[in-house]
Amino acid sequence: MSVFMDLNVLFSADRSRMQSLVETAAHLGFSTVAINYVFEPTTKKKQEVPSPVPISELIGQLPVVQGRSRPIKVLNRLTVVMSEASHFRPNATEYRAFDLLAIQPTTEKLFHTTCMLCDVDIICISVTEKLPFFFKRAPINGAIDRGVVFEVSYASALRDSTMRRYTIANAVCLMESCKGKNVIVSSAAEKALELRGPYDIVNLGALFGLSDADSKEAVSSTCRAVLLHAETRKTASGIVYTRISQQEALQDCVGSEAPAAKRPKPT
Amino acid sequence: MVRVKSRYLLCEINVSDRRELLKLDDRAVAGTVKAAVARTHGDYGAALCSIRFCVKYLNAHTGIVFLRFPKGCYKLLWSALPFITSIECRGQIIPCFLNCLHVGGTIRTCQKFLIRYNTQQLHRMLPKCKNEEEKRQIQKAILSFSLTGGGNKALEDELESEEEDGE
Repeated sequence: MSVFMDLNVLFSADRSRMQSLVETAAHLGFSTVAINYVFEPTTKKKQEVPSPVPISELIGQLPVVQGRSRPIKVLNRLTVVMSEASHFRPNATEYRAFDLLAIQPTTEKLFHTTCMLCDVDIICISVTEKLPFFFKRAPINGAIDRGVVFEVSYASALRDSTMRRYTIANAVCLMESCKGKNVIVSSAAEKALELRGPYDIVNLGALFGLSDADSKEAVSSTCRAVLLHAETRKTASGIVYTRISQQEALQDCVGSEAPAAKRPKPT
Repeated sequence: MVRVKSRYLLCEINVSDRRELLKLDDRAVAGTVKAAVARTHGDYGAALCSIRFCVKYLNAHTGIVFLRFPKGCYKLLWSALPFITSIECRGQIIPCFLNCLHVGGTIRTCQKFLIRYNTQQLHRMLPKCKNEEEKRQIQKAILSFSLTGGGNKALEDELESEEEDGE
């Protein structure tokens, strides 16, 4: 039994909607869900980075995951839609409140910078438009070595036929360049009806060009790798330590400069 | 050697409002699946769907369907199922989605899985009971599970009574 995670659930101010989303995710079998705050800075006016609403305010009681005995984990995530490199300030204090950081680059040069330099966990591939640039092997391999993952989301494919074509086209392009490694598939669900079960998503991955094993990894072990990468981003030089608390023993620890206890498979 | 093999997909229909489930019937579900496959995979998909596809079982109270596909192409047809966003039945459009729980080679294996799944669902409902009477009912239902179909009936009754008390 592997843990399935859905790392992209769009935030909305409507509390009942978020509640039903999380309950549906728990019913479907997802052990972890990350609420995504999308932030699109423009150079015209200075905007503030949104701060995450604390989980206890948003959702009353966390429902238990189907098939397990633990309640579902809910994390916070920020996605910055960038068109210029100055939009993203590393180590900004507002980013500390979020568990996961993601970037959606819109130009080729920015994609290259994000893959090689920026300190993020997830790079989102946009699915609502035809990609204006092609993927090159060099920055993608650089990102894979650093432990950054690429994300494809499928909710827009459920809404519209043209979006479906863009999603599949962009996803297939990505899979060709990255050979199926370091990819996660997540919903960008706004409503509870836009979520899909984990085995259905594994099958969708086959449509995108992933093999069966890669596709299952895209929903389970790569997501876990992202979470570990995010934790090491918060600590100095990537050293993670764990303490055994009374209720549970945390996962194994890694005491070296390399981040992420669960590394993606080496080539 | 010459056994014709199929795959039976055990799916659960999730709706936002439980009362809408009761309006479903198997021909509506079959029509929706065929339309979705035709939209996603075109004429090739529609042709594959006409070989041995049918809805074997539909439980309107719990929203469980058994779909049968031919073994050679069930993955392709399965990949079209996530794109279903609503089911149209007798003129009404019910927004829902299909969640596949289990793939089996025979109806019997799917039924065995369904009984285990229903037991788990009843266990999940147990903490949410509001009074002793319901608790006893659920415990009795859990103990009475068997392969002859008693399990499914018990779950239906429980879900109905839970709804009535919950509203």
